[in-house]
Amino acid sequence: MVDPAEAPDVVPPTSAPEDVLRVEHISKRFGPVTALRDVNLDLKKGEVLGLLGDNGAGKSTLIKILCGFQKQDGGEMFLHGKPYEPKSVDDAHAQGIGTVYQDLALIDELSVYHNLFLRRERLLKPLPLLANRQMKREARAALDEIGINIPRIDVAVARLSGGQRQAIAVARTVNSDADIILLDEPLAAMGAKEGAQILDLVARLKQEGRVSIIMILHNYVHVLQACDRVSMIQDGMIALDKPTAETSVEELTEIVVNEYRRARAAAHAEPG
Amino acid sequence: MASVAGGSAAETPPAAPRDPGHSLRVPSRRELFERIVSLREGSIIVVTIVTAIYFSANTSSFFTGTNFKTLLPYFAPFAILAAGEVFVMILGEIDLSIGAMYLFAPILFYKLNTSVGLGLVPGVIVTLLLCMAVGALNGFFVAVVGINSFVVTLAMLFTFEGLALIISHGTPVATPGGQLPLDTFGKVFGGGTYSEIIWAVAIIAILQVVLTFTRWGLYTVAIGSNKLGAAEAGVQVKAVMIRNYMLCSLTAALVGIFEAVRSATVQPDPAGANEILFLAVAAGVIGGTLLTGGSGTVVGALIGALFLGILRDGLILQGVNANYLLFYTGLAVIVAMSANVYVGRARRGHGGSG
Repeated sequence: MVDPAEAPDVVPPTSAPEDVLRVEHISKRFGPVTALRDVNLDLKKGEVLGLLGDNGAGKSTLIKILCGFQKQDGGEMFLHGKPYEPKSVDDAHAQGIGTVYQDLALIDELSVYHNLFLRRERLLKPLPLLANRQMKREARAALDEIGINIPRIDVAVARLSGGQRQAIAVARTVNSDADIILLDEPLAAMGAKEGAQILDLVARLKQEGRVSIIMILHNYVHVLQACDRVSMIQDGMIALDKPTAETSVEELTEIVVNEYRRARAAAHAEPG
Repeated sequence: MASVAGGSAAETPPAAPRDPGHSLRVPSRRELFERIVSLREGSIIVVTIVTAIYFSANTSSFFTGTNFKTLLPYFAPFAILAAGEVFVMILGEIDLSIGAMYLFAPILFYKLNTSVGLGLVPGVIVTLLLCMAVGALNGFFVAVVGINSFVVTLAMLFTFEGLALIISHGTPVATPGGQLPLDTFGKVFGGGTYSEIIWAVAIIAILQVVLTFTRWGLYTVAIGSNKLGAAEAGVQVKAVMIRNYMLCSLTAALVGIFEAVRSATVQPDPAGANEILFLAVAAGVIGGTLLTGGSGTVVGALIGALFLGILRDGLILQGVNANYLLFYTGLAVIVAMSANVYVGRARRGHGGSG
């Protein structure tokens, strides 16, 4: 194992007043497995930050801590400069952080519009009954605005394709008045055309400048195309943090390959 | 599955908008039949009607007012029990302890009335609240501690049936408020001819609305369909599960009191309670609620209970030996469930990827 102090090019915490979200020295263990060692990250207003890293590097764990689903073992987080300690997903949501999970968190048996409004249901006030017509109408309008083509919004999402499901999961978060959006692999399970739709949506949100986005991606080309800045997690730490304009597919690839070589060399060097 | 679907979706052109004239067209008789059968409760409605027609044709006394009154206690209590059970079954869990609540509630009610000196209505209210606390305990062990619901509620079934025997010393007693001539309390709480069916219809109507048109119902389906996903979306999974177990205990306790008032006797008989427990679960399942969760219907529970009631009543009228009743009930459940599975497959059949 590489000692964190010895490892080169680890990004230290930065502090800037315009950060909407700042993460300092976050660590997380699951039993014997260290998922996050010491993560420092910052997100500026209106920025799209691409989060890269191999499988198991800790990207999803970081997202789950940011969105209030799990609690970190060590480190601190700051939202708009104030300490941020979400007690639950609902709590994080109330503070303006919305998330699209890798496993989508869609409910197969519920309709498209019920999924879109899960936890934000419209009610026929003062009655505690669901305003289904209103939700259908608003769901249709929201999907049209985002430019996602779902032929029928009253069918169970189990009947939709992987790409359509992903689109609904993204639309749900975009539609939720969150000002920070976390996207965990929004392009997984997507066809080329559907993926382009989601990237267009991100570009449009960036133009509006209202929301700030952290997006986990695998494809370096997508990162350079859609993000302002890229952070790469390796071995539970941020190994690179650069504006996308100053990096390239070659550089990103090289970092991954070098890390792989270093980890292998370290494994060989260890006795036994 | 997701990656396969995503890959193919890229090649498919965007689906054409729905034919706007479709919903205006008058459906043909065949379409109408298909639509009824494809309702979640559809198959059991058809099976129940066929069964009723069969007994009407084969016995002269089935389709009479007197028999209707005989039929009521064969299904109204089961409908109420099954309605509560459906809320637990949609979660993908089970509650076997309703048998114990059914047995325990009237004994508790008797003790509160005779030993503690509570009035009839306060006695019922306190009994129901205590039984709901037991339900909360069920929910706690299942949702918070994380023990399998079959095991938890089986243990609770033994525990509270045992407690019922201990408290009652295994001796039947006269139900408070259930003695002739019945006053208003007795008539309302199970003693009146139509008391239980009115309660059943009201409870079923309310719970079906709760299931279909409220957040509670939506979250219940969400948890049964994708528990992790519901939690990630911010649904308070544990709270909803505990609440559903409390509801299930409440309906079971209510039926226990109704039946004790109706029969004028508090009968500490665990074997009878267990049979009622399993018939209630059967009614829910026959009605179209999946034991695996994520899908269910309260109205279906009523129809499932009605089917079981008609079957039992009809067989008795036909003069079938009492020893055969359980046997035929078992066969009927298998047949009805096979029909449900077949129809369910037809319902999901068109283009379903899940």
